[in-house]
Amino acid sequence: MLEAFLIKLSLAAAVFFGVLNLAGLHTWIERKQSAIMQDRIGANRASIFGLRLFGLFHPLADVLKLFTKEDFIPPGGNRVLHTLAPFLSAFFALVVFAAIPIGNTLTLGGWVIELQVASLDIGLLYILAMLSMGVYGVVLAGYASNNHYAFLGGMRAASQMLSYEITMGISLIGLIMWSGTLDLQAMVRAQGQYLWGWLPLWGAVVQPVALIVFLAAALAETKRIPFDMPEGESEIVGYFVEYSGMKFGLFFMTDFIETVLVACLATTFFFGGWQVPYLFPDGFRFPWGGAIPMAPLAVTLAGIGAFTAKVVGFCWLFMTVRWTLPRFRYDQLMRLGWQYLFPISLANVVATGLALRLLS
Amino acid sequence: MIRKRELTFWERMYLPEIIRGVALTSRHFVRNLAIHTLHAVGLAKHRSAAVTYQYPEQPRPLAPRLRTRHRLTLREDGTPRCVACMMCETVCPARCITIVAGEHPDPNIEKYPTRFDIDLGVCIYCGYCVEACPEDAIRMDTQILDIAAYSRAEMKLDLHELLNPSLRKPVKACSLPFPHRCAVRGDPHAAGPEQPLHGPIFIGGDVTRAAGMEDQAQQARQIEAPHPVPLPSGEREKGEGRGNG
Amino acid sequence: MPTLTIDGQQVTVPPGTTIIQAADQLGITIPRYCYHPGLSIAGNCRICLVEVEKAPKLQIACYTPVADGMVVHTGSDKTLKARQEVLEFLLANHPLDCPVCDQAGECELQNYYMDHGRYEARFLEQKVKKSKKATPIGPTVMLDQERCILCSRCVRFTDEISKTSELGIFHRGDHAELDVVPGRALDNAYAGNVVDICPVGALTDRDFRFKARVWYLSSSPSVCPGCSRGCNIEIHYVLDRPYLADGARVMRLKPRYNPAVNQWWMCDEGRYGYKAIDRARLVQPMGRTQGLSPQGTVPSADSVSHPLVWDLAMTEAAQHLQEAQTRNQLGQWGVLPSPQMTNEELFLARQLFQERLGVACDGRVAERPATGDNFLMTADKSPNRRGMAAIFSETTDQKGTVPQGDSPLLAERAAAGELKGLIVFDHDLVALYGEAVARTVAQRVFLIYVGSHDTATSRLAHLVLPSAVYAEKDGTFTNVDGRVQRIVKAFEPLSGARGGLEIVADLARRLGAAFPHTTAAEVFRAIGASVPAFQGLTYETLGAHGAPLATAEAVTV
Repeated sequence: MLEAFLIKLSLAAAVFFGVLNLAGLHTWIERKQSAIMQDRIGANRASIFGLRLFGLFHPLADVLKLFTKEDFIPPGGNRVLHTLAPFLSAFFALVVFAAIPIGNTLTLGGWVIELQVASLDIGLLYILAMLSMGVYGVVLAGYASNNHYAFLGGMRAASQMLSYEITMGISLIGLIMWSGTLDLQAMVRAQGQYLWGWLPLWGAVVQPVALIVFLAAALAETKRIPFDMPEGESEIVGYFVEYSGMKFGLFFMTDFIETVLVACLATTFFFGGWQVPYLFPDGFRFPWGGAIPMAPLAVTLAGIGAFTAKVVGFCWLFMTVRWTLPRFRYDQLMRLGWQYLFPISLANVVATGLALRLLS
Repeated sequence: MIRKRELTFWERMYLPEIIRGVALTSRHFVRNLAIHTLHAVGLAKHRSAAVTYQYPEQPRPLAPRLRTRHRLTLREDGTPRCVACMMCETVCPARCITIVAGEHPDPNIEKYPTRFDIDLGVCIYCGYCVEACPEDAIRMDTQILDIAAYSRAEMKLDLHELLNPSLRKPVKACSLPFPHRCAVRGDPHAAGPEQPLHGPIFIGGDVTRAAGMEDQAQQARQIEAPHPVPLPSGEREKGEGRGNG
Repeated sequence: MPTLTIDGQQVTVPPGTTIIQAADQLGITIPRYCYHPGLSIAGNCRICLVEVEKAPKLQIACYTPVADGMVVHTGSDKTLKARQEVLEFLLANHPLDCPVCDQAGECELQNYYMDHGRYEARFLEQKVKKSKKATPIGPTVMLDQERCILCSRCVRFTDEISKTSELGIFHRGDHAELDVVPGRALDNAYAGNVVDICPVGALTDRDFRFKARVWYLSSSPSVCPGCSRGCNIEIHYVLDRPYLADGARVMRLKPRYNPAVNQWWMCDEGRYGYKAIDRARLVQPMGRTQGLSPQGTVPSADSVSHPLVWDLAMTEAAQHLQEAQTRNQLGQWGVLPSPQMTNEELFLARQLFQERLGVACDGRVAERPATGDNFLMTADKSPNRRGMAAIFSETTDQKGTVPQGDSPLLAERAAAGELKGLIVFDHDLVALYGEAVARTVAQRVFLIYVGSHDTATSRLAHLVLPSAVYAEKDGTFTNVDGRVQRIVKAFEPLSGARGGLEIVADLARRLGAAFPHTTAAEVFRAIGASVPAFQGLTYETLGAHGAPLATAEAVTV
């Protein structure tokens, strides 16, 4: 029992480590990628002993700066809630990762390890629940700042998050109906089938409409461009206007954690999670004949690698979208959510039901 | 009026346009990333992945007609060409030029500036002073752009810096060969009164406070108004004073 | 009376009138350089050529007398062409000095070139160099021969107005040049006027030289306070460029035309008297004690002066007067009004001190010996002695001089220790009565000095209330001929000084006897209502040139 606990703890630490590092790197990726996309060079000035490493030290410098800045609580603000809000935000973003399977079952020295921090039967519900808890951080931040603008920003964020949460949940129902489970590991395993023997039956193939709706809703839910009215870093006064120092940094981190999170979710639901095409427990078996036998450990590690690569790929996509699309207007955002994405996701559920009924 | 273009069906579908946009930015990303990578291994140096100038190390080439920091041109003998006609001071829309004229020993020149200040903190670089100058005495061709200072006073150029653009604050020594109001030598007239002594319309703030006499003002406010003088009743005939003169 | 037509307008003028004068009557301005209404006619500049019908050639408007039925065209093509050509001749040798020339901006060459010249330059030859470039020819005037267009206005001025004949035109042809007569200097008492009448930059003012460009100047009409003549002036001042002239506000004075007083002229003493406006001014009330002085005591004249805020200084003055009143000692106080004050200030002072408080006001103040001449300058260097005489008519005779053999002067009584307090407006007791008397006064009485300048008396006084100078206040002066003339506030008093009206009115308010009239116009209306000499006068009837006192004719000056 203790061993199982320790194993889970070390797994959780590994996931934590990976996610936080990826999120931290995001500040650098964001700046560098946007620069390269826009024919610029990007941040490259921070150096240690003249070593610049393409500006890799900038996140470090940013963190140092944030830590040394004054931690300001506005007069009249609620000290407890003001301090609590960024932690709530980050916490609910981080706990979601517990339910995400990062690989197939790993058998190591007699130990059978599920590469999933929490193997929950209702993993998907858990994820949706935790995601919706994130709204507390935002609302509390706006409320506790004793600032009308911050409060309005918080309200804006809350209504946006609540609106898109519904769409996001419904867009996944089709997937649940198809895979017949709420367990994410089981969902990923279900995506290991092949249509006509060669097309991996990933969520994106089964539910292409749901994929698009999910991506849009998830971006909106996590307040990423082009749906970043609540934050609106420099243009719109958002809910964290009264935050400074590392508390602001935590909101900032949450933003990037959520990017990674959405990438993980999209990977898990729609791109086969840790599945590698044509990789079976005993190695590769290609539909056009031929096979490469592999050790089970290697297969599992390849799965983890595939998962990571897919997540990074999604992160890149989100960044590209961020630096390509202009921001929506708030009424456009609401209309998109309620008048287009929501009915589309409902129709998708109906269509999926019909299809399943007809196919079975 | 520019009419909004009607969107086509595909454009209104939004998704294809998003993909097009993402494709465009991705193309730049891939191309630039490839060139950056080649640069990193020392290849394809002639192709540029960025249009950025690495500013302090790599200054941007400036057009010769760009208006930059001012300078005063010199005669052969090292005195300014300026004759202190104050055309630039007159035309300056920001009123950043301060000229005080003096008598030149040569009656054919007659007039020259003993004080010529340009407050770069106020200047808007419109170049009117150069246009207005009848003597080609002021130019904006020093190509100096990096003007920064820790105080407003340091943003002021005086004769020393205007005649010798290579000088930077603080100017240590004065080598101007003609009489002038020299701040370097501590001339009290170098920066004459910026604010006139008169009139509340030109002076902000409270004179009482400036003189450090608030306590007096306070005291004065606490003194009771004197009792009204009982006027001698109705015996004020015109032109007949009660004086004993 | 001949009737003639100028540009289609008919005008009837007395015989002997010239065309240019008739045109001036109609409001048609014919360009002019040598013609000046105050001088004899020279007719040498030719810029005033006009077309007269039935005359074979163009005629000079300044010297052609009108005739009945004459038809004159001042704007015909022929006339305009002639003007342009005359300008071309005048400018042929004129240097391109405008940037350094003090006349630029008020130069008739510039003005007429822009109005009538605008020709393509055809002059390829070398300009003739003259011998004197920027040379002083007297204590006040600078000569630049190259700029001179030889109109001879200045020569005629020295011949006819100042009658000193220092200037002349020497040599012939393009060598002709204006100069002072050898061995002489242009140093008469009216020399500054040649600068005013010079239409170009040949004669410029040494005092104004390079101080400011004329387009920086603001102008305000006023009356010269230098003597009792009351010459009409314009105050030219700059407020927004404090670095010019080391912070002085007033740059120069110019005479203002008044046919009844000074015509076009003013003396140099008045012209350069403006410097006092920005020099040695009192800018802070001063008292001998920090805060209120003990009641009824006279602080030592040797004790240190402290700056006071106005509120405190006025309270102190009021308290001293009130103390004297409660002890019934106001009869032992005295007020010395000054002929430097405006009629309005004098009237308010009289109303407050003499009528309401019953304090003795003594308008008989000894004069400082000074000399006048038989033209504009008078011996009396106070601008308003006639006004003071009219307002304090009981204590002075009508000419404002000291009646002899009357009761002793107030200052003498103060020195004798008969008084407890003395309020002095503007007078310098030290200059008037001598150091010893002034010091005695300061030791025996509580001395309140209300004045604009730092003088020996202000340093002796126990309470100093700085007041405004003439350029900083509205009011009227009554000149030596009994002509009441307005002075107009050009700018605010120096911060820390207050207008005399304001000071007296504030004192009255603190003594519970506030005046119903506070502005200068209101006070003047009150003067008109209560002082017989001023009957019927208001600011409206004074106008730009003033109006005589009702009693002015009765007084022979």
